[in-house]
Amino acid sequence: MVWFILRRAGSAVIVLFLASILIFLGIRALPGDPAVVMAGEEASPAMVEAIRHEFGLDKPLLAQYVDYVGQTLSGNLGRSTQDQLPVADILAERLPVTLELSALALLVAIVVGLGAGIVAAMKRGRLPDYVATGFGLAGLSVPHFWLGLLGILLFAVTLRWLPASGYVPFTQDPGQNLQRMILPALVLGTGFAAILMRQTRSAMLGALSADYVRTARSKGLSEAKVVGAHALRNSLTTVVTVLGLQLGALISGAVVTEQIFVIPGFGKLTVDAVLTRNYPVIQAVVLITVIGYVLVNLLVDIAYAFLNPRIRLSGGGHG
Amino acid sequence: MRPRLVLTLAVLPIALTACGGGGSSGTPVAPSVADASSDSRAVKSGGTLNIALNADPDALDPSVSTTLVGREVFASMCEKLFDIDAKAALVPQLATALPEVSADGREVTIKLREGVKFNDGTAFDAEAVKKSLDRHRTWEKSARQADLAAVSKVSVVDPATVKLTLARAFTPLTAQLADRAGMIMSPKALEAAGDNFGASPVCVGPFKFASRTSGSQIVLDKASDYYDAAKVKLDKLVYKIIVDPNVRAANLKSGDVQVADQLATTTVKGVQADPNLTVVSGGGLGYYGLTINTGNANGSTEKPGTVDTPLAKSPQLREAFELALDRDQINKTVYNGLYEADCFPLPADSPYRSPALQCAKRDLAKAKQLVQASGVPTPIPVTLTTPNDATNQRLAQVIQQMTKEAGFTVTVQTAEFVSTLEQGKAGKFDTVLNGWSGRVDPDGNLSNLITSRGSNNYSGMSDPGIDDPIKEAAAVTEPAQRAELYAKALQRAAEVRGVVYLYHNKYYLGMNKTVAGVQYFKDGLPRFVTAGFAA
Repeated sequence: MVWFILRRAGSAVIVLFLASILIFLGIRALPGDPAVVMAGEEASPAMVEAIRHEFGLDKPLLAQYVDYVGQTLSGNLGRSTQDQLPVADILAERLPVTLELSALALLVAIVVGLGAGIVAAMKRGRLPDYVATGFGLAGLSVPHFWLGLLGILLFAVTLRWLPASGYVPFTQDPGQNLQRMILPALVLGTGFAAILMRQTRSAMLGALSADYVRTARSKGLSEAKVVGAHALRNSLTTVVTVLGLQLGALISGAVVTEQIFVIPGFGKLTVDAVLTRNYPVIQAVVLITVIGYVLVNLLVDIAYAFLNPRIRLSGGGHG
Repeated sequence: MRPRLVLTLAVLPIALTACGGGGSSGTPVAPSVADASSDSRAVKSGGTLNIALNADPDALDPSVSTTLVGREVFASMCEKLFDIDAKAALVPQLATALPEVSADGREVTIKLREGVKFNDGTAFDAEAVKKSLDRHRTWEKSARQADLAAVSKVSVVDPATVKLTLARAFTPLTAQLADRAGMIMSPKALEAAGDNFGASPVCVGPFKFASRTSGSQIVLDKASDYYDAAKVKLDKLVYKIIVDPNVRAANLKSGDVQVADQLATTTVKGVQADPNLTVVSGGGLGYYGLTINTGNANGSTEKPGTVDTPLAKSPQLREAFELALDRDQINKTVYNGLYEADCFPLPADSPYRSPALQCAKRDLAKAKQLVQASGVPTPIPVTLTTPNDATNQRLAQVIQQMTKEAGFTVTVQTAEFVSTLEQGKAGKFDTVLNGWSGRVDPDGNLSNLITSRGSNNYSGMSDPGIDDPIKEAAAVTEPAQRAELYAKALQRAAEVRGVVYLYHNKYYLGMNKTVAGVQYFKDGLPRFVTAGFAA
């Protein structure tokens, strides 16, 4: 098991190295001269030149890359060109926000999606199944921004149960924090729950008609044990894969949700940084995202190995 | 040398009730500006005011900032040597009077308020003013260099007097000093923060910078060191960045914010209908239009070259293109009639605008005739670059339809806003939609925008008939004389048609009725010095 994890971690480092090159080149492939964009509407050519120099954009590409890697490794992420705040501070402020939002959305998705999926599979072809699949279809089709606006109009403007938007750190006021996070988490979690529901349902349907379930039933096991210990456990591999793959989608979904609910998270930061060609922030944000993806994939691999010992033994599995 | 007071600017009120060139019957009527300044309700002390901004301000450093939302925040925490009043007339702020200008216009003396402190307790004096002005005009990264280009030297006469020596007479200077170029920063804070002053700015102002959460909010606290602290009622201002116009309006309705800036024209009606809310209008100094690349081959600040497009080559076709546009219809369909349709870059009510400047109505027959006379085979291809937001795309589509009837085929090309700016500067476009937030002095709406090699002269116009009168007007103090010179330049510019101006955009400020004492002027910056919750 240790060897397995080490090998996976090793390949993660290679992925990170390749990703750093891609990030570097990708940002420079964005249309437009970043110095001109950063200098703003009223800039003189001298000012643009000064900015180009400050960010080393006048150096050869290779020298810029070496600078970038060197500074990143030494922990110096620079300052945001938008507001002159240190990038490391911004990340430290933003990352927990999105992590909280994602965790809450994930909770919504697991509770609703997994639950509905199991019920739908067990009551196949009956009312609960139709309700659940109907919810799944709607959840997948409704865009986040629309659902978010609708939620704000209903719960904040009409009923006045919840604040319309904004963010209060959990450490500052847990009650306020959760009040403001309920709607965004529901909105962000809905699409995710729908996907999870569908995957759970089909995996469970497959499992419920499998031989080992028939055997379990014929042994006289209780229905709870048949479903919980046998069918569900075997369906979980699929569900975990979906979870892993969708965590990335959750971050990109957070972009829209954060924009609508004015939550100062990572997704909003990413979009804002790209739109203002804020190089130091984009580089840091994309790097952190890549690290996030690599870590999640690593965790998924390890989770597989726990759920399905065959993967551990053969050393193969999902990459 | 007998100094004379530059009172000319100050005594010339701008009529605020005048309407622009466009009619707007059957469309929502916004309350006049008077609503904000005529609010005489008493205000109680204390409280936090939450204000929604429509975009994230850039660095809060007066030397580098270029955004309108940045100026909105500065209005509460960074006072300037001069300011504008409800009638857009220049008035002293950190100065005690309007500047004294020498007869040749090349020496400007400014008397300063005494006993004033920066919000870190440092004394405000002539040395501090010099330090800030020198940073604005000489620091290589300063965006204020062009504003103060006429200034060759700043000297300290005594602790309460500075003297600016100019390379040439430059009347718009007072107006420049009534904007970011006239903001004075704490010398102590400048020393400590250097280039990163914007991360924790310290100025003289009714409120002082407390914190900024990147992309989310900016918090200002009431400043105890402010010279007029008794006037300030609120304890705290929280500027929240809410980009989506519908969400901004929803936050206002739910009471999460009490003030929302720049309501989208699509949300004004809904906010007006709410019994708890009110809308006041301001702004109108800026403009929006369609820039035609006539000579920008290598970049706006470079020597003009030849652009190989039908519109660039033929003034006739440019005239036909403009005649095909119906500005009133554009205002109605795209902006609910809430803007002021116009064909010149100066507001219709500006004292510097000659009545001789009149707009032509849509004339499709003449447009078709001009197209035919040009001999260019129809349909004539035109590429229109536009920012990729919904409103601009709608505008582009309307232009596309209107000009189609005259024989043009407009291909709309969308790009991110910042990319359109960059393409505009670089001359990589055929036509582009863009605007200008506007300045109090007319020079600020013209010099850099339509004269040869101006940094924002995206069209690449270069015509002595435009350049000379504008340059001359900047050195003249008499408003009537300036108006005449500007009329000359603008008439020539209308013939060249590097920019087809479409309208002046108004700003609509949504407010909860519990809020009183907010001042909202022509510059579109809500001022909260005397604001608070109604008693």
